[in-house]
Amino acid sequence: MKRWHIRDIILVTIIAIFMGVIFWALGPVYTILAAALAPMGLQPLANELLLGIWVMAGPLAGFVIRIPGAATLGELLGAVVEMFLGGIWGASTLISGTLQGFGSELGFIFTGYKRYGWFTLFLSSLTTAIVTFVWDLFRNGYAAYHLPFLLLLFCVRLLSIFIFGGVLTKLINNLLVRAHVLKD
Amino acid sequence: MATVTVQSLTYTYPKQAHPVLDHLSGTFPTGKFSLLTGVSGGGKSTLLKLIAGLIPMSATPITFDGHPLSAITPTQRASTVAMLFQEPSTQFTMDTVENELRFALENQQVPAEEIADRCDAALDFIGISNLKFRKLMFLSGGEQQKVALAIIVAMDSDVILLDEPFASIDPPTRLILLEKLVALCNDRGKTIILADHDLSGYQQWVDHLAVLADGQLTLLSTAATRERFAAFTPQRLQLTHVQLPNDQLTVCLQGTQLGLAHGDRQLLTPQDLSLYAHRTTLITGPNGSGKSTLFKALVRLGRYQGQLTYRQTDITKIRKRRYARQVGLMFQAASAQFLNVTVAEELALSQKYGDHAYFTPTRIQQLLQQLNLAGRDEQVLYSLSSGQQKKIQLLCMLIMAPDVLLLDEPLKGLDYASIQAVMTILKTVQQDLNLTLILISHQLSGLDDLVDLHLTLADRHLTYQGVSA
Amino acid sequence: MNPSLKLALLVLIALEVSFIQVWSINVALIVVSLILMLLGRITWRRLLWLTLVPLFFSSALVWSLMLRSSASTHFLIVIFTRLFVYVYMGGWFTLTTPPLWLTHSLEQNAKLPSKFAYGFLAAFNLMPKIQAEVATVRAAALMRGEVLHVWSPRLYFKVILAAMNWSDQLAAAMTSHGFVEGAPRTHAQTVPLVARDWWLFVGSLLLVQVGLFVGLP
Repeated sequence: MKRWHIRDIILVTIIAIFMGVIFWALGPVYTILAAALAPMGLQPLANELLLGIWVMAGPLAGFVIRIPGAATLGELLGAVVEMFLGGIWGASTLISGTLQGFGSELGFIFTGYKRYGWFTLFLSSLTTAIVTFVWDLFRNGYAAYHLPFLLLLFCVRLLSIFIFGGVLTKLINNLLVRAHVLKD
Repeated sequence: MATVTVQSLTYTYPKQAHPVLDHLSGTFPTGKFSLLTGVSGGGKSTLLKLIAGLIPMSATPITFDGHPLSAITPTQRASTVAMLFQEPSTQFTMDTVENELRFALENQQVPAEEIADRCDAALDFIGISNLKFRKLMFLSGGEQQKVALAIIVAMDSDVILLDEPFASIDPPTRLILLEKLVALCNDRGKTIILADHDLSGYQQWVDHLAVLADGQLTLLSTAATRERFAAFTPQRLQLTHVQLPNDQLTVCLQGTQLGLAHGDRQLLTPQDLSLYAHRTTLITGPNGSGKSTLFKALVRLGRYQGQLTYRQTDITKIRKRRYARQVGLMFQAASAQFLNVTVAEELALSQKYGDHAYFTPTRIQQLLQQLNLAGRDEQVLYSLSSGQQKKIQLLCMLIMAPDVLLLDEPLKGLDYASIQAVMTILKTVQQDLNLTLILISHQLSGLDDLVDLHLTLADRHLTYQGVSA
Repeated sequence: MNPSLKLALLVLIALEVSFIQVWSINVALIVVSLILMLLGRITWRRLLWLTLVPLFFSSALVWSLMLRSSASTHFLIVIFTRLFVYVYMGGWFTLTTPPLWLTHSLEQNAKLPSKFAYGFLAAFNLMPKIQAEVATVRAAALMRGEVLHVWSPRLYFKVILAAMNWSDQLAAAMTSHGFVEGAPRTHAQTVPLVARDWWLFVGSLLLVQVGLFVGLP
């Protein structure tokens, strides 16, 4: 099995920082969305909609650096970078980051780090959605919501993760494969 | 102290059929300053990286005083051989100069109590003690190269390799670095191998010239080296019909109290500047003086002081999308321009939004022929040679036909035939479409037919040259 | 306090707070973090920021829970204060722990392999270059008539290509500066890890457990 080398560690960190830059650029969108949805008590939906971009570092790192642990490390480093750049959520970002990354990682674990196609991406999106949702049941008190709303939140989350962590990641991967920098 | 010996070295890039280095042999003697020269893309960087052990090889035919690199313990390799890279900003691990020096010495397992003294001594030798606590990212390219050399001095490496280290460095810094390198050679017996495709300004410093051509290395004796330098005449800029701007010209871009800075270093003292429409303007000036920075400011990719207007409108008030179609930039690095994977896709994108009335498919095929690029449609852009990339890049930006096209070193790395072809094409298209071209070029020969106006950047000031009309 | 232990303490408490529902503990942690931040001379602007942002999120979340669940008031208070615990504790940590010092500590005290510590630092310094690259790719696209959005694969493709180049260059430069994966290194500065650090760590954790027990409804 491939081991971590310094080049891979640098690359996974750059990807994490890059996703941080993208997410940071989306800050205003998120704020507007959250503020617009808040009065109806729908603020969590803003999180769910954009969560896909936030967790994208995981599957992207997993696809670009095909080493066990890449997805987890990509997402965890994203959280560390955010913390160092003055992100306010502190230690809880580290925990969420690790869980999100591990969620994506599960998809790659289940396919044995051998298949890098649609199936793996769908599986990875599903595991990410489930793991992170369980965490939010506790952390953000989601467990108290009525079931229909809870289902809505989950579906939006799965969709967002699938679009960004799945479809977009696959399209990026295709370009990299065609440019001969990644294997199919 | 170490003599570097290469014995029948063959190296082929991954996925390529022909070796770039073909049974190459040669010796770089200890205590001497060797200049490695050859065309760009000819394998100079590869040879240096192989000597530095940065490209792993199973059986290495490279020895240091008879010892192969693999026989030296990994942590002591850096005190045998170290490299200074072309791109100044991506060769540091830590945030500050002091921390980077510490990092390098810690890697060599220098005892903690000796580290501080060795750092200070190295900084003092290069003459940059004042930079000790500065953040590396905020230093200029020249300062970064000085720091990189200070680190090699601190590590006390026997063999010092430099890969085109002055590509973006201002002349005074280049001179200081060369003086320090010669001192390292003469006083400390270091072996120095410096790769540069340009021979100008080396004759008084270099002991040996090593010419890399067709995968083979030819080492010239001191006498032969001297002859070669004597025969080499640097390119002269010959502009016979350049005139000072007159009243008949229309201003397209106007800077009012325009100033440029990099970090806390002022590159351009605030001044008024007019750039004229439908003409070709050449901007020259020393490396690192701020020419590319000016271009970035003009396309809103960099900060500037004062005000910039395009056809009397402040450029910050024009919608980004619209402005980008009026004023385009051909980046110095070709890869920065590309957005797709293959040649055909890249050209198709330009055809989609560019001037398709003029650039008909037939004309484009003709231009590709002229540039010796026909039949490469399905090739991946990033696997083309740097010269081919440059030509495709130029074609893509010409097809877009923006009112103002800024060209940052459009001839870099091109062979003679390509330069001629590019010049003809630029001239024709500029006249047919009445474009405004502004170019930065270090490649000076053959520009005479094209250039109407000439701006020089010297002492932080841009001035038009030429006779008044 | 030793940075690695401080980080461990922070993560453990954050993890515990996420599962327990004792608002008095939350309030106690908020007060302690606030005092520690004030002792660390936090700027007023930063403190204001650290207060307003969680205030918005907490209020919105609680409001949403009020509308769409039948949670008790006690539960709502717990959720409301929980976000402040995360933010204030995190604020105290970043205020008092320079990133470089933490990395040194993780390498020396927590035995994190040096390749992870320095690989991370090397990439972290590229931050401005990464931002500039994103801007350049978008500008290059605009000049060709295309607008790249956050959902455009080509934006990511181009930045990843650049990232691959940079990581090759940085890895080569680190090797050239004598870095060898897994090799022993000396340390110009040693991060102290003394008995006092352990006492503080164990003591703080115990205190939280006692508080938990007392504060249980």
